[in-house]
Amino acid sequence: MAKQYDVLFRLLLLGDSGVGKTCLLCRFTDNEFHPSHISTIGVDFKMKTLEIDGIKVRIQIWDTAGQERYQTITKQYYRRAQGIFLVYDITSERSFQHIMKWASDVDEYAPDKVQKILVGNKSDEEQKRQVATAQGNKLAKAYGMDFFETSAFTNHNITESFTRLAELVLQANKKDLDVLRVSINDKLNLAALEEEEGVCDSSSDAQKTCWC
Amino acid sequence: MKWLDMFRNWDKWVTRRFPKVKLRCRKGIPSSLRAKAWQLLSNSEELLRDNTGKFEELEREQGDPKWLDIIEKDLHRQFPFHEMFAARGGHGQQDLYRILKAYTIYRPDEGYCQAQAPVAAVLLMHMPAEQAFWCLVQICEKYLPGYYSAGLEAIQLDGEIFFSLLRRACPMAYRHLKKFKIDPILYMTEWFMCIFSRTLPWTCVLRVWDMFFCEGVKIVFRVGLVLLKQMLGSVDKLRELQGMYETMERLRNIPPESIREDLLVQEVMVNTSAFYTADWGSIPT
Repeated sequence: MAKQYDVLFRLLLLGDSGVGKTCLLCRFTDNEFHPSHISTIGVDFKMKTLEIDGIKVRIQIWDTAGQERYQTITKQYYRRAQGIFLVYDITSERSFQHIMKWASDVDEYAPDKVQKILVGNKSDEEQKRQVATAQGNKLAKAYGMDFFETSAFTNHNITESFTRLAELVLQANKKDLDVLRVSINDKLNLAALEEEEGVCDSSSDAQKTCWC
Repeated sequence: MKWLDMFRNWDKWVTRRFPKVKLRCRKGIPSSLRAKAWQLLSNSEELLRDNTGKFEELEREQGDPKWLDIIEKDLHRQFPFHEMFAARGGHGQQDLYRILKAYTIYRPDEGYCQAQAPVAAVLLMHMPAEQAFWCLVQICEKYLPGYYSAGLEAIQLDGEIFFSLLRRACPMAYRHLKKFKIDPILYMTEWFMCIFSRTLPWTCVLRVWDMFFCEGVKIVFRVGLVLLKQMLGSVDKLRELQGMYETMERLRNIPPESIREDLLVQEVMVNTSAFYTADWGSIPT
C-alpha cells in the first residue's frame, strides 16, 4: 500500500461548552456547517491531510466535550497532543475568561513543547460581540500564541488557523526529525554533537563559543 | 389488555410474577402504554405521588446561573430534527429547560451534566414535564447512580468493567480494540450516558429503554456488548476497519441498516447466560 502521508500529528480542540469546537472541526474537515447539531459527549475525532512545504501532514483532530466535569476524561488525551486550539466564543465574555483556566490545564497535562493557538470563534456575530479583537490579541500575546478570529458559519479563517497550528507543530518537531535523520545517516556527527553539549554543560565559562 | 391488567394490579405483578413482566418488557411495551409503564417500572409514579407539589416548588426557585448557562446552550442541541425540539424556544425546549433546571435545584450537589439532556428529551417525548422530571430523578439516582456526577468516575469504572466483559463475550472485538489502543471511554461514554438514545435507530432505542426500565443497567452493558460483537465480531467486518480512525468512526456512527430491532433484542436476551457465567457475579438476574 502506498504511503498516504509523511507525518501524523494530533491536535486537540479545547474550550467551554458551546463555543463551537465541533462546528470548527466540521467546517475544516468536511467544509460543512450544520446549524442543527448535537452537543459533544465524551471525545470524538476527525482526520484530514494537509500539504505543508511539500510534506504530507496527516492530522488527527480530537474534539472534546466542553463541560468541566468531562475534563477527568478529556485530560487523559492532552498528553497525546502535539498542538492545541484554545477556543472561546467572541459573544461570551465568560468563555474568554475561562481561557486562562484551559491554558493552565494545558500547562499541567500536555507535553512541554505542545504548540498552542488562540481562537475566537463566531466572528460573524458582530452585533452580539462581548470580547473585542484587541482583547484576544492581547491575551494571545501574553501567552506567546498566534491568534485568529474565526467563523465556522461563514468559513472565515478556518483553513488558516488549522494550517497555522499544523505548521507550528511541524516546525517544533522538525528539529527532532532532522536530528533523527542525522543520527541515521551520520553517526559520527551526532556523537560529536553530544560531546560538544557535554563540554558545554560541565564548564560553560571555559567554552567561549557556547551561548546557552 | 395484558398490560392494562398488569397496570391494575401492578404491585402484585411486580412482586409475584416479575419474570412475566420482564418477558413482556422484552417483547416491547405497546407505544400507547409506554409512558405509564416506564413510570411504574421505575417507581417514579410513586415518587411523584409522595412529592406532590415539589416540582412546582423547585420551578419557582432561581437556580444557579452556572448551571443555567450550560443548560441553555444545550437546549437546541438535543434531537434537533425531532419536531418537538426543532424550534428554538418551542415547547419541547422549554420543558427541557424546566426539568434540567429543576434537577439542579433538587440535587445542588450534582448540578447538571450534559448527558442528562438527551435522556430528559427522550422522556419528554413520552410524558409531561413533571412526570419526566421524576423519571429522570430515578434514572440518575436509582438506575445509573454516579453516571452524571462531577468527576464522572462511575462511567469510567463501568467502561473498564465493560471492556473486561468484552474479553469473554467477544475476544475478537476485544483484541481489535486493544490492538488499536481504543479505550472504552472513547466509544461507550455516549452509548451508556445517553442510554443509546443517540446511537441506535429509534425503534431500537425504545425497545432498549423498555428492557432498561425493567431490568436496569445490565441491559446497557448487554446492548453495548452486542453492538461490539455485531460491528467487530468477524474477520470480514474487521477487514475494512484497519485503523483506530476507521474503527472509532464505525462505533460512533453505527450504520442504522446494520441493526435490526428484533435481532438486537434477541441477541441481548440470548447472551444473558453467557455473560452471567463469566463475570456478572453478584448482579441479580
